[in-house]
Amino acid sequence: MASHEVVQYRSTIRSAINVFTFVFLMVFLIWTVLPFIIMFVSSFKNLLEAFNLPEKGDWASVISVFFDFEPTAIHYRELFTERNFATYFFNSIVSSGGSALISVVLGAMAAYSLSRIDFRGKNHVFFWVISTRMAPVVAVMVPLYTIFRGLDLIGTLPGLILAYTTFNLPFAIWILKGFFDNIPYAIEEAAMVDGHTRLGAFREILPLAAPGIGAFLVLCILFSWNDFLFASIIGSGGAKTLPVATRELVTPTSIQWGKIMAAGVITSVPMTFLGLLIRKYLVTGLTMGAVKE
Amino acid sequence: MTGTTYSTEIMSSSGKTVRDMSDGGVVINYRPSLVNPPASKRYYFYLMAPALILLALITLYPFFWLIYMSLHKVDLGGSGDTWNDFKNWTRLARDMKFLGGWWLLAKYSFYCMLFEVLLGIMIAVILDNSRFEKVLVTIFLMPMMMAPVIAGLVWYYLYNSTFGWYHWIMQSLGILGDKSILGDVSTAMTAVVLVDVWQWTPLIVLITLAGLKRVPRDQLEANMVDGAGAIRNFFQITLPNTYPFLLIAILLRFMDNFRFIDALMVLTGGGPANSTKILPTYLFDVSFVFFKLGRGAAIALTLLIVTIILGMILVKVFQSPSASTSQGGE
Repeated sequence: MASHEVVQYRSTIRSAINVFTFVFLMVFLIWTVLPFIIMFVSSFKNLLEAFNLPEKGDWASVISVFFDFEPTAIHYRELFTERNFATYFFNSIVSSGGSALISVVLGAMAAYSLSRIDFRGKNHVFFWVISTRMAPVVAVMVPLYTIFRGLDLIGTLPGLILAYTTFNLPFAIWILKGFFDNIPYAIEEAAMVDGHTRLGAFREILPLAAPGIGAFLVLCILFSWNDFLFASIIGSGGAKTLPVATRELVTPTSIQWGKIMAAGVITSVPMTFLGLLIRKYLVTGLTMGAVKE
Repeated sequence: MTGTTYSTEIMSSSGKTVRDMSDGGVVINYRPSLVNPPASKRYYFYLMAPALILLALITLYPFFWLIYMSLHKVDLGGSGDTWNDFKNWTRLARDMKFLGGWWLLAKYSFYCMLFEVLLGIMIAVILDNSRFEKVLVTIFLMPMMMAPVIAGLVWYYLYNSTFGWYHWIMQSLGILGDKSILGDVSTAMTAVVLVDVWQWTPLIVLITLAGLKRVPRDQLEANMVDGAGAIRNFFQITLPNTYPFLLIAILLRFMDNFRFIDALMVLTGGGPANSTKILPTYLFDVSFVFFKLGRGAAIALTLLIVTIILGMILVKVFQSPSASTSQGGE
C-alpha cells in the first residue's frame, strides 16, 4: 500500500503508533471476550466458588482465584432435570423456527413479485414494510396484547409465532427484494423460452437465491430466538422460551448465578454458531440490506 | 392483456437487465419471447398477496387498534372500553415521568452513539490495516449474537458489588469508591450504556469496515502527492467516503435503542430513582405492570411517530445516490 511507503521515513512516530494500536486492539479484544469467558467458566463453578474474588487491588492472584474451582456440570443437569429447560428449548426452537419459516416463504414470494413489477404506490408499500420492522417492540406489544387476549393467543406458541412474524416478515420482504433485484430477469425468460411456465421460471431461479434465502432464514431465527419482551408478555405462561426462563432464575430471594450462567451458555452457544455460519450475509442482514461486505 | 402494460413491463425488466450487466453489455432491439404470453400483473399480485395480507393483519390492524385504545379507558375485565375525552393525551403533558423518559432516552441514545461510533471507527481503521482482520472480526461478532437479556444478566453479575469482577476491577483501579455500580444514580446510566457499547460497537466496526473497503485508492494517493499526511488523508478522503455508511449505522442503532430495552430491564429496570427509566421502559411499566393500556397506547403512539420519522430519514439515505453506490456490489 502506498500510504505505508510514504509515511515510513518517520519511523519513531510510526512505531509509537503501532504500539498504541496494538495495545488498543488488545484491550478491546479482552473487553469483548471477557464476559463470555466469565460466563462460561462460572457456569462450571459451584455456588461458593462463583463468589470468590481476590483482595481489593491484589492483581497478582486474579488468575489463580478465577481458576480455583472443581468443574461441575451440576447446573446444566439441574436446568434440565428440575427446571424443564428441555421444554423451553423446544418452545424456543418452535417459535423462532416457525416464525422464520412463515416469514421467509411468504416473504420470498412477495419479494420476488415486488422486484419484478412496478405499480403505483409501490414506494408506499415499501415504506410501510420497513417501518413495521423498525417499530419499537413495546409499542407494538400494547395493541397486540389486547388483540391476542381477545383471541386467547396469550401464552400459546402460535401467538408467539405471530408476534415474531411482525418483525420477521417485513425483514424478509425487504431484504429478499434486494436479493431478487440482483438476479437478472433474463434467466427467467430463458427458462420460459425453454417451455417453463411463470411459476416454473420462478422455481428455476430459486437455486440462485437459495444461499441468501437460507442465510436470512437463519437471521430470522436469531432475531426471534434472542427476543425477550414478546416472549415475556405474549408467551408468558404456556410458551416460555429460553431467555424468559433464564430471566426467571433471578428471584428477589435468591439469584442462582451458576444456573443463570449455564442457561446463558445454553441460549447463546447455538446462536453464536449459526451467526458465524452465515457470516457472509450478516452485515447485509443487520443493516437491512443497506451495506454489503 | 393490453399492449400498454405489455410494453411497460418489458421496458422495466430489460432496464434491469442492462443495469445488472457489469461488463457494459447493452440489450438493443430487445424482443420478448412469444412462447409464453407476458404475465399479467395479476400473477404477481397473487404471489405477494399472502405476505401483504398477513402483514396488514398483524401490523396495520393493531396500529388502528392502538389509536382507538389511546382515546379510551381500556378495560380488560370485560365491562368495555369507555371514551374519556382525550384524558390519556392531556395527562401526558403533565406526566413528568413521560417527559423525563424522553429526555433520558435522548441522553441514553446520545451516549451509546457517541461511544460506539468513536470506538467503532477507531477499531475499524486499525483492523483495516491489520493482518489479523479476519480472525479478529469473527471474534468481535460474538457479542451481537448474544440475546440482549442474557447480556444484561451477565453484566448484572459482573457489576455486582460483592462478587462482580468488573466491580472489583474498578475498585482496584480506584475509580469507584464503595458505591454499587447499578445502585447509584451517578453511575447507573453509564453502566447500562457500557453494556450497549459492548454489544453493538462491533456492528459499527463491521459497517465502517465495509465502507473503508470502498475508499478509492487513487484519491488517497493523489492526496498524498499533494502533500497530505495520514491524518489529513483520513479527514479529507476516508471519512467523506465512508460517511453514508456511518450515517446508516447511526440511524439503525438509534432505532434499535428505541426498539430494545431487554438488557436495561434486567440491569436496572429503570432505577435507581428512575435515573435510567428511558421512555420504552416507562411504557412497559404503564402497560404491563400497571395495565393502564389506554395511557400506554398514547405513549406508544408518540414513540411510534418519532420512529417513523427516523425511518423516513433512513429510507432517504438508503435511496440516495451516495449510498446506492454501495448497493451495486463488486
